Amino acid sequence: MDLGQAITRAARGMRDEARLHLVAISSLTIAFFCLGATLVAMTNLDRVAERWGQTARMSIFLRDGASAEDITQLRMALEGVQGVASVQYVTSEDARTQFLTDAAGSTGLAAIPADAFPASLEVTLSEGTAHADRIAERVGSFSIVEDVETYQGWFRQLEALMTAGRSATTGLALLVLLSVLFVVGSTIRLAVTGRKKEIEVMKLCGASDSFVRGPFIVEGAVQGLVSAFLAIGLLLALYLGLHDRVDVVFSMLAGVHTSFMPPLLALGVLALGGTLGAAGSAVSLRRYLSV
Amino acid sequence: MVLFDKGGRSGGGRGNNASSNRPFAFFRAGLGRDQSAQNRPILVLEDVFKYHKPDQPTLRGVNLTIERGEFVFITGPSGAGKSTLLDLVYRKQQVDEGRILFSGRDISRLTSDSIPYLRRNLGIVFQDFKVISHWTVFENVAIALEILSMSRRLIRSRVSEALERVGLAGRGDDVTGNLSGGEQQRVAVARAIVTEPALLLADEPTGNLDPHLALDILTLFEEIHATGTTVLFATHDHTLLEERAHRIVYIDDGNVKEARKGLTDWSSTRSADLGTASSPGTAAAARNNVVSLARSR
Repeated sequence: MDLGQAITRAARGMRDEARLHLVAISSLTIAFFCLGATLVAMTNLDRVAERWGQTARMSIFLRDGASAEDITQLRMALEGVQGVASVQYVTSEDARTQFLTDAAGSTGLAAIPADAFPASLEVTLSEGTAHADRIAERVGSFSIVEDVETYQGWFRQLEALMTAGRSATTGLALLVLLSVLFVVGSTIRLAVTGRKKEIEVMKLCGASDSFVRGPFIVEGAVQGLVSAFLAIGLLLALYLGLHDRVDVVFSMLAGVHTSFMPPLLALGVLALGGTLGAAGSAVSLRRYLSV
Repeated sequence: MVLFDKGGRSGGGRGNNASSNRPFAFFRAGLGRDQSAQNRPILVLEDVFKYHKPDQPTLRGVNLTIERGEFVFITGPSGAGKSTLLDLVYRKQQVDEGRILFSGRDISRLTSDSIPYLRRNLGIVFQDFKVISHWTVFENVAIALEILSMSRRLIRSRVSEALERVGLAGRGDDVTGNLSGGEQQRVAVARAIVTEPALLLADEPTGNLDPHLALDILTLFEEIHATGTTVLFATHDHTLLEERAHRIVYIDDGNVKEARKGLTDWSSTRSADLGTASSPGTAAAARNNVVSLARSR
């Protein structure tokens, strides 16, 4: 296939069928917009998971009367364990103060004595919750340790949320993929029907299948590429327009700022658009080549 | 398996000498690279059968030899198998039995990948012109050369030359749909001859034209034939057969009968099948028999 010729003939075809191609590009842009929006949502969910994963922690509650020497030993032992970023000792009084700060406004709580709050070692984990169970098991054997809270249940819920988000994205991506193939296929079929005579003439003049297919594949690829480009552009414009308002709320709730999809992912969407368009054309042309 | 010359595909016609400017010169009389190929008949049909319905063949054991440089009328009533015969030559259809040799090569054995290379050695003209009406005249003719990946410069000169030969010089920029029927058929002829094919197939090319234009087109084909191109001209228009003394191949009910030198020679052929045995020797009688047979179908 001579690419230069295919591009020239594709340009002529698109000019002749401009309205048809515009309709197709509009439909495809909507499909890619949905995919792009999901990818942006996933990008931000990933950032939240990453941020929260980085701040994974565990609380080691100490028995009453644990000596300062035992606590220092345990603290030093913990600091040498893989997966532990830092260890902070929180006395009963510190715990009470923190509790009262968090529960500001609740009357009567101030009467709770410091003894009601066990002293603890607050451990920040560096590699998420990957080592939490192992650390909890080792720490549990120390006599001064009364209980260990790894917050695993909470992290499992977060992970489940992330998995569901990823599944939804994958499902949506598949749906978009099918709709792109369908729209490109239908458009090219319409274009081919309108240009059936051209194909017949070319075949009778000795054109190979690749010669006939070439311009249609270029047209499909252009449709997909332009649609993906428009979708990403629209999405970026929407993101920038809403950024200030959404970012404040999001960062307050999730602890991270919003972000657009990474440039590499955007390039991937463009490449996907082009490839799907070309593939849709190639598949839908097969039946028209037997002259 | 590619049996046919692909030379013109990759820059054929970009060379400096005359023969390399003709990508399929191999099949032209006197310009060939393969001497043995030039000595073979251009087309041979050997015991060819084509069935469209079981036990009812459209072509029944057709044997036919077309020599290089011949002008042959294929005639017969509608539905007799004229178009089927041509379809088999450019492999729109496949023979069911027998074989067809084009320049000595069996085209019935071609793979689908090789068919384009066969067609690049043929020029084909149809009754319905098969021109793209929204393309310009130039674009309609140039497409045959674009398929051969020729340079733009060479395409321009070859198309101009072809348009001049068909009497459409200077009309390249006209939109084809705006031309008259006769002119559109000339565009189709220009497209068929622009690649300088070895064999020109014409399937009822005058069928949609009035008698005057039909004669014009026939004359055009004869002019092309005069330059050495072999022409197979299918028609059921007996007035054309009466006008020109060319070899006639008559197809009737899938069988072939022929006359070597037009209707005037009809009586000396296997005319018994046509009922001329009782009045041999007179051209008028033979003509009347062919005409009446054609009319009766």
